[in-house]
Amino acid sequence: MIELIQSSLRLSTPLVFAALGGLLCERAGVATICLEGVLLISAFTAATVDVFTSSPLTSILVGMIAGSAFMGLHALLTQKAKADHIISGVAINILAAGLPPLLSQAWFGSSTNTPSVPSNARLSEPAIIAAALILPLAMHYLIYRTSFGLRLRSAGDGPEALQTSGISVGRVRTLALLLGGALTSLGGSYLSIGHSSQFLRDMTAGSGFIALAAIIFGKWRPIPVFLASLFFGFTEALPMILQGVTWRGLSLPVQWIQAIPYVLTLGILVTTVGSARPPRAIGSK
Amino acid sequence: MDDWSKDVKQLLSVTLALLVSLILVVLLLFLMGEDLTSLTEALKYTFFNRFGLGYTLFYTTPLIFTGLSVALCFHAGLFNIGAEGQLLWGALSVVALAKAFPNLPAGLALPLAFSVSAIAGGIWGFLPGYFKARRGTHEVITTILLNFIALSCVNYFILYPFKNPESQSAETSVMPAGYQLHTLWFPTTPVNASLAVAIAIALAVYVFLFRTSFGFELRTMGQSPRAAVFSGVSLQKRTLAVFVMSGALAGLVATNDILGNEHKLIEGFSPGYGFTGIAVALLARNHPIGIIFSSFLFGSLQNFSRELEFFTQNISKDVSLIVQAVIIILVSTRDFWQRKKQI
Repeated sequence: MIELIQSSLRLSTPLVFAALGGLLCERAGVATICLEGVLLISAFTAATVDVFTSSPLTSILVGMIAGSAFMGLHALLTQKAKADHIISGVAINILAAGLPPLLSQAWFGSSTNTPSVPSNARLSEPAIIAAALILPLAMHYLIYRTSFGLRLRSAGDGPEALQTSGISVGRVRTLALLLGGALTSLGGSYLSIGHSSQFLRDMTAGSGFIALAAIIFGKWRPIPVFLASLFFGFTEALPMILQGVTWRGLSLPVQWIQAIPYVLTLGILVTTVGSARPPRAIGSK
Repeated sequence: MDDWSKDVKQLLSVTLALLVSLILVVLLLFLMGEDLTSLTEALKYTFFNRFGLGYTLFYTTPLIFTGLSVALCFHAGLFNIGAEGQLLWGALSVVALAKAFPNLPAGLALPLAFSVSAIAGGIWGFLPGYFKARRGTHEVITTILLNFIALSCVNYFILYPFKNPESQSAETSVMPAGYQLHTLWFPTTPVNASLAVAIAIALAVYVFLFRTSFGFELRTMGQSPRAAVFSGVSLQKRTLAVFVMSGALAGLVATNDILGNEHKLIEGFSPGYGFTGIAVALLARNHPIGIIFSSFLFGSLQNFSRELEFFTQNISKDVSLIVQAVIIILVSTRDFWQRKKQI
């Protein structure tokens, strides 16, 4: 039981960062299908920097810069060049799927993983998990109690009004994306050098999309989104517990077990989304 | 601006996209200290000999199917990111069919296999359509989740019920002779008759979209859902229909890769055809005929990056993903570049 709670917490952590980071972008009116790519690129960057510096703090910082840069590209494409938000997100995901194996092959001679870092070069798991637990409160404050939060919400719900009051919608959204990218990157860096000790190809395995589902399930509000992330982390922990469980000599094949988080996520989305309403101007140019 | 100059402009921007991508590859080679002859060797084995061209055409076929699948949804204002999952079920269904009826003659087995792969893909495509139409769940997220579910399920079938007991790797047994399509024009390469089928289907999709009232309704729905509703179109029914058709198109990929190449289902056989289909459709601006050409382009890219990996020390075939992303970015911001030019 304790084991289940522990691994739920561990697996929730990247989801919490990605979902709250993505929440910031979506509340500002930018659809962020590219969370997956930002997680992946920050995981790879942090792992690579850690191999060379053995400093987890430097690694996580550079990881955040890389993630922000990718979100910055999303901002450039959607706000400046007026590209469709989903298409831009897909392009960024493809880029983030291709760059790590390419660079990893060039630098480390293996396209599937980076070298493993020693345990003293890894992030402290408790510290990151604690940060993930405090983050929703900070986000709640930022979104509902600060003037930046007000502008952010206006950029998502009524960009015309914001424009009329003389504030650049594009700038507010870009800021939100950079900040959201940095937060998401904490989750990515945690995946590669906190939860694991190296970057593995496609190691995010859809976490970015599950985080997106958590945003929808939490109806775009920080605390509910946080709770939804915890729940989805729990569904990801279930397979570990269910593996090796036998009932009358029968055991569930591992492939079915691996599908559980996705099936549950889909089931929840399909049954609850009727009552969820996204920010009004999401995806607008 | 008349249509002709618009076409020329499009052609120019596509050429620009290609040039930028090519320069990127050359730069990459330089940065990684590779011998530049590997580039010419890889090019030779993509376009300039029978073997290379055969493989390029082989990689073109599945992209025509997935490109059409994505484009059909785009026309109706919907995103199908789920072609990858739909094509997996198509592949599995063909193998299941061959297992159930191993002794059918080719004249019966092949048409049946084509239909079954389309039906299986169509069923998997029905799901996001249903979720969107009845529950309002955004199709981007449901199709992506369904991809992961399809992957787990199909891998289960490859590893357990359909596993080839004599093989060490995760693959099914080889299908009987009736289910095998053979190479026609390029000996020792797997390009097969499903390329001709793909081209014929692209023409059919063109006629469907631009010459039938159903196609007209779909395009209206994509451009202005309100106008479609006011003219009496049921968005729910159309959404379902489009997703089923999209899924069926993606399911047909199996005919090229399973019937035509390995004659068995191998775990991870698709190098991401479903996702490349998005790039294919965008580059062709969702035009079915254009998709044939942009599929050839991305098919070449696929083959070229494989050859590049083979001929170089440190370049992995994932370089094709970078080029894909660059092309999508350039194409999706095309309006921006053209506006700049006009000012």
